[in-house]
Amino acid sequence: MTSPLISARQITLTLGNGAAAVPILRGIDLDVPTGETLALLGPSGSGKSSLMAVLSGLERASGGALSVAGADFAALDEDALALARRGRIGIVLQAFHLLPTMTAQENVATPMELAGTADAWRRAAAELGAVGLAHRLTHYPAQLSGGEQQRVAIARATAPRPALIFADEPTGNLDAATGAQIVDLLFARRAESGATLIIITHDAALAARCDRVVTLADGRVASDEHTGP
Amino acid sequence: MKTGPMTTGPMTTGPMTTGAITTGAWATAWRIARRDLNLRFRGLRLLLVCLALGVGALAAIGTLTGAIERELSSRGSTILGGDIEVAVWQRAATAPELAALTRAGRVSAGTRMQAMASTPAGAAVPVELKAVDGAYPLVGKLRLADGRSVGAPPAGSTWLASGAADRLGVEPGAIVAIGGVPLRVGGIIADEPDRLGEGFTLGPVAIVGADLPRAAGLTAPGAMYRSKYRVALPRGANPLAIAAQVKAQFPSSGFEIRTRDKASPGAEQFVTRMGQFLILVGLAALAISGIGIGGGVASYLEARRAGIATFKILGATSGDIARIYTIQIAVAALAGSVIGLIAGVAVTPLLGKALGALLPVAPGLVIDGAALASAAAYGLLVAFVFAAPPLLRARSFPAMALMRARVSPLGRAARDALIAVALGIAAIVALALARAAQPLLTAGFLAGVAALLAVLTGLGAAIRWGAARLPRPRNPVLRAALANLYRPGAQTGALVTALGFGLSAFVMLAAVQTSLDRNIMARVPQRAPDYFVLDVPGAQTGAFVAAIKAESPAARVRLVPALRGAILAYGPPGRMIRVADLKAIPDDAWPLKGERGLTYSEAVPEGNAVTSGHWWPAGYAGPPLVSIDEKLAKVLDLKLGDRLTIGLLGVERSATIASFRRIDWDSLGFNYVLVFSPNTLAGAPHSFAATINLPAGSAKKPLLQRLVRDFPASSVIEVGGVLRDARALLSQMNIAILAAASIAVLAGIAVLLGAIAAARASRLYDNVILRVFGASRRQLLALQLAEFGALTLVLAVVALALGSGIAWGIIVELFGFDWLPDWPRVLATLGGGLVLVLGFALAGSLPLLRARPAQALREL
Repeated sequence: MTSPLISARQITLTLGNGAAAVPILRGIDLDVPTGETLALLGPSGSGKSSLMAVLSGLERASGGALSVAGADFAALDEDALALARRGRIGIVLQAFHLLPTMTAQENVATPMELAGTADAWRRAAAELGAVGLAHRLTHYPAQLSGGEQQRVAIARATAPRPALIFADEPTGNLDAATGAQIVDLLFARRAESGATLIIITHDAALAARCDRVVTLADGRVASDEHTGP
Repeated sequence: MKTGPMTTGPMTTGPMTTGAITTGAWATAWRIARRDLNLRFRGLRLLLVCLALGVGALAAIGTLTGAIERELSSRGSTILGGDIEVAVWQRAATAPELAALTRAGRVSAGTRMQAMASTPAGAAVPVELKAVDGAYPLVGKLRLADGRSVGAPPAGSTWLASGAADRLGVEPGAIVAIGGVPLRVGGIIADEPDRLGEGFTLGPVAIVGADLPRAAGLTAPGAMYRSKYRVALPRGANPLAIAAQVKAQFPSSGFEIRTRDKASPGAEQFVTRMGQFLILVGLAALAISGIGIGGGVASYLEARRAGIATFKILGATSGDIARIYTIQIAVAALAGSVIGLIAGVAVTPLLGKALGALLPVAPGLVIDGAALASAAAYGLLVAFVFAAPPLLRARSFPAMALMRARVSPLGRAARDALIAVALGIAAIVALALARAAQPLLTAGFLAGVAALLAVLTGLGAAIRWGAARLPRPRNPVLRAALANLYRPGAQTGALVTALGFGLSAFVMLAAVQTSLDRNIMARVPQRAPDYFVLDVPGAQTGAFVAAIKAESPAARVRLVPALRGAILAYGPPGRMIRVADLKAIPDDAWPLKGERGLTYSEAVPEGNAVTSGHWWPAGYAGPPLVSIDEKLAKVLDLKLGDRLTIGLLGVERSATIASFRRIDWDSLGFNYVLVFSPNTLAGAPHSFAATINLPAGSAKKPLLQRLVRDFPASSVIEVGGVLRDARALLSQMNIAILAAASIAVLAGIAVLLGAIAAARASRLYDNVILRVFGASRRQLLALQLAEFGALTLVLAVVALALGSGIAWGIIVELFGFDWLPDWPRVLATLGGGLVLVLGFALAGSLPLLRARPAQALREL
């Protein structure tokens, strides 16, 4: 049996120091195999986004062991974690977080350029075409609708062909119809690449489309259910 | 379990460790930076403005100085009146000396001296008498106001400078007497080509024929005149080599030789030193701009917090972040510098016009590469120093911290920021010292500026700390205004430093200028004599004193023998150092340069005190003795019993050092570094110089007219006229310094506007919340007024205390003058600066008052 893509053992995260210290994650154990789609559910403040930040290397855990695709994330510093994300981890955020000063194509090309990908420009255009925005390459984020902006964000996350995609409330800022389109697109792009997808959501219907649903409560895993085949 | 085709190997291998952090990293950073950078430099305009101001000031000063220096250097032979000038005091060149000069090239001979010009109506002014031969001018053209190009005036006539004609009230055709000889005014001088090369004079020029001085008896033995020989060399001849040859051929001649490459050393030195001083003032202004640059960069990066976070989420390392934003800031800094350089060059002619008569030549529009490169280098280094800390802070921030701490400012500077800042400051200091003619003075000035900035920074912190501990006013507007001085993100410290520096400079300049002015107006005339009289013939001293006493019986007259000579050698007997053999004249040993005034005296001169050795007894007739200024003795390491040799009228005379003296230079009378025993010099032909103190309220005109009439060979210099000229010069120098200091105030205002812009979000939030709860616009305006009023009040106190403190030090401790500032003028200057600050502060805040609550709440 192959080793899991993500292996987390007793992950803790505490923010602040001394009397102001706030425990966010309180000993998370989680294995995620390659190619799985996983939904992280839980109420506000349960630690979903923090867990995603730790698993994606945006935040270093306060304690525990974390291996992502064979890399010991606990041993890597901030810059090494950034290098680890390059081309391997794609992230889609609720508020899109596109760079407002760059066009759609520039936004999508940037992570590939940072990784030194030679044909970043062409691949960015192709990826935007794949998400239905071939006609919006030179538009700035402010000239795009919310749904279009999230499509660009998805293209930016998937263009480098990452092994792992995180999506944090990807439909949180969108209306229901647009949100549904975005979810379809996200799953379709993932299906094409075979990447592992971890979605943070409040939406039970969206969670149901995943192979597995992990529910957090108060910084701990409250339940872990496989829903897929 | 599904496996995806995109799954790669372990993440610890491959590009993760190398990534794009290779040679291509900068190229990638450049691509991203270019995309992210707004073409209109939105967010970086404060940096642009501050840098343009600072670099512009330095470029203008450097260009102006360079233009004048170039003008002086390119017109060297015109300014000098030839390729070589040989001058000698109190005698004409001997036949062999003249023959040597004639062999070298075409010679124009003449004499210069102080003289009196008077009219039959009784008007009299001291003039610089310039007697020239038929060959004058060897180079350039002497032009009269009527358009004629002329040489020496015909016999019986004179060309008068317009200043002399104005003061005498004469026009061409009128008769004036010079040295008692009546002359017709043949024309008014419009352009005298060698004016600058003549150096400082105590009156406007009157050009006469070469024979007049002798005919008028002005060159009698002992008279203070100077013979000048200009030589135009054949093409290709080397002036320096010929000057050295002449010097070697006549070592005891007392010749002062100048060549065309240093035609006007005095003017060149003045321009160089004034230029360097102004550069330092400009550099201080640039340091203030630096505060704006630092604030601008911090605000820019703060506004890009989300962008930086996004870059990091996408895999950008701290190195990538540093590269991307360094490139952006460098591009903006370059743009700001270029704008500054263009503006600096463009304003140079205007600056030249404003400074007018202070400058030896009128500068044109020039591009001085070295000055511009230096201004740009200073600008970029200052930008580096102040931009490095916020850049390094942004670089070291983790992605999630950036996302989370949206309302808190970026963290503290990392230790490597200190290293970067220290390196940048070291480079600025090194550049300033490398370009300085007086490195010690430059170092002192820079240290002073650094100390002042440190004091202001400390004061800013103290004010912030103090404001937080003051009792909270009950009035909500005052309470909010006070709170704004110390709230998180408040820039009170930066504003006190930035604006306090410029305003302190304003107060200091106003206090120094008005104090100097009042000293010149009030105190100097009390101490100084009413008249200085030169060239009183030795045989007529009795008649001279009698004439004065007849006009003003209570007048005090002091007569001193006046001779001129050069120090040729000094030191212990048998091991004397010859001045001609010195590779360089030691610092502060100015009496070794050329000929100096010499005198002899039976008694210790007035205002002098013997500090070592003994004064010679009355009627001393032993071996020649000399008493020396103790400062010069220290510089030259002279001991009592050492020997000193002088060249006097071409003859060497030696004396033994008998004493050292302390001289009170403030006595404003005749003071001599070298005073000989009478038997050493009395045999040499010489005249006397005199000072006349009249009782208060005495009529001066009758005495002046009598002296001019009875002693036509003497020159009477009224102190009042000299003081008027000094005040005018002081006033113009003050304009130049004030202009440079104004840049500091402008930079301070830019910092203020930047601070207002940086705090826009929090100010908008405050205003909107207050509006929601019923505050009127008038109340909000009162709040802004109270806040900036409090800041202005603080600045006024700081500027007044610091500026007048420094001015006091300059006036009392440095110059030894009385502390007499014109407080209404000082306060008016400060008030003007404060009104400017308050006006800009309110103008910058007005847009916030117009914000509509509902719309603003949606956007916040």
